[in-house]
Amino acid sequence: MNAYFEFHNSVKLLCGELSLERIAIELEHLGGRAPMLLSDAVLEKIGTLGIVRQAMEAEGCRAACTYTDIPVDSSLRVVNEIAALYRRSGCDSIVAVGGGSVIDTAKGVRLVLSQDTDDILAIGGVENLSWNRHVPFVVVPTTAGTGSECTGVAVIRNEANGVKMEFLSHYVQPEVAVIDPRMTAGLPPKATAGTGMDALCHAVEACTCLQANPLSQAYGTAAIRMIAEHLELATKDGSNRDARFAMALASTMAGIAFSNSMVGAVHAIGHALGGVCKVPHAVAMTILLPHVMRFNLEKCRDSYAALLPYLVGMEQAMVTPAEQRAQASIDAVAALARRLKSICGLPLTLQEVGVSREDFEHVAQVAVNDGALIVNPRAADEQQIIGILNAAF
Amino acid sequence: MKRLFQKFTIGVVLHVVYAALVELYRLDSRARKEMDALPEGMSYSITTGHKAPVLNVQWQQGKLSSLVQLAEPVCSLRIKSLAHSFRLFTGQMGLAQAYACHAFSMRGEIADVMKLARLVNLVEGYLFPPVITRRILVEIPPLQVSSLRVYAAILCGFLSGRYKSL
Ligand SMILES: [Fe+2]
Repeated sequence: MNAYFEFHNSVKLLCGELSLERIAIELEHLGGRAPMLLSDAVLEKIGTLGIVRQAMEAEGCRAACTYTDIPVDSSLRVVNEIAALYRRSGCDSIVAVGGGSVIDTAKGVRLVLSQDTDDILAIGGVENLSWNRHVPFVVVPTTAGTGSECTGVAVIRNEANGVKMEFLSHYVQPEVAVIDPRMTAGLPPKATAGTGMDALCHAVEACTCLQANPLSQAYGTAAIRMIAEHLELATKDGSNRDARFAMALASTMAGIAFSNSMVGAVHAIGHALGGVCKVPHAVAMTILLPHVMRFNLEKCRDSYAALLPYLVGMEQAMVTPAEQRAQASIDAVAALARRLKSICGLPLTLQEVGVSREDFEHVAQVAVNDGALIVNPRAADEQQIIGILNAAF
Repeated sequence: MKRLFQKFTIGVVLHVVYAALVELYRLDSRARKEMDALPEGMSYSITTGHKAPVLNVQWQQGKLSSLVQLAEPVCSLRIKSLAHSFRLFTGQMGLAQAYACHAFSMRGEIADVMKLARLVNLVEGYLFPPVITRRILVEIPPLQVSSLRVYAAILCGFLSGRYKSL
């Protein structure tokens, strides 16, 4: 165990039935009366945003401005544009409704506004900010995967060099996150499976990286158990409310876990694949997780073995010989991914998502500069990362 | 007294780290490749605590210089206390461990910290004996020349006044 660790989660979680209907009063308590509503065009079109808007308006909270043009692969420019719009529109708070890109963009906007700047690039860093202007911030996740509603990091693409930049500060955390199963009810099977695997990555990396601590492991292992029990069901039958709710909670718990112990090489390489080859984050996580676990195995025998009961259940873990448990954990993760592929066609190789071997060198060059790599249990240089990419091809 | 001793030690080690970076540019191909890839004018500032030694370095025209003052470092690392700095610079704690226990804050881009971290890992690999590097480095880098040769180069450098801060 590390001789010192920190744990921070200041997000109030509203979980379950009718939680959207409480946004208005929570905002009011935070001093927000004219929120800016942030989302994307798809969520507006399929009516998910409408459900949130209605729930807020029914309680007398009308958005002063709505912005739904956040792209799937948002950028620093988008963040700065939205911050300027917020100021022009007389908003006093933010409500973000969406998946990873919307929430990370909203976090960036909140950071720009609360630090009284115009350009997010000017405030990049790690734990380098002080509390300045208070901007009430509520997040409504519409996928069960990123855990972004509870993390102290915003990952945003820098269009100048295509690199995904990480902004680490507890001031990007919202005050309130709303975990309402209605928000993920319409998520298609492939997106359900992929985002669920992203949550599994968060939990596995949080429990086994160099910054792991007993509190993050408590959240991480609880998340792994819920994912192992509910992800297939949520993918097969999206109308199963219990499975949806369990996955939403698991995602949030995995988010709390990795926000307090970081991630590792899966994310470092995944961010690079996203920046260089435009591979969606969840897809990259699904493909890479078993391969990176195999790469890390020599340093993670004990920590991977400890995950087995959460992945396959206590009984099965107990009949697995102790020296085989670490490998059995990797096999369980790979088998889950294969079952999800057979249910919904989730891609399991880089080839399937159009990545070419010629891109590997560039991906590796970007990955070694990703902050997540610093706490990976095994050091990885460019050649070793190319080895992982080849294995995942 | 203890604080004074820690400041003095950190000051000496910072000088040696800078000297090692200068020498490894010549002696280690990985260090050279890493520094050659730095953009012109890239600068780092490392603050080691309240009223404690500071290391400012800048990459200019193919050379790493040590500067007394750096107005706007591209990347600045602030170690949160002198006690943490002392552990970090005396081989009691590695950079990954320092990151894992939130021992420093940073202004700038994380990618730039990763570049510096790889260089510092190389420096530690050469300057510290295996009994220490086994504990503080996630992976011990294979040495391209002997540690003695690096120490000898640093000694010559100090005697010739090569590492004077600008
Ligand atoms: Fe992720």
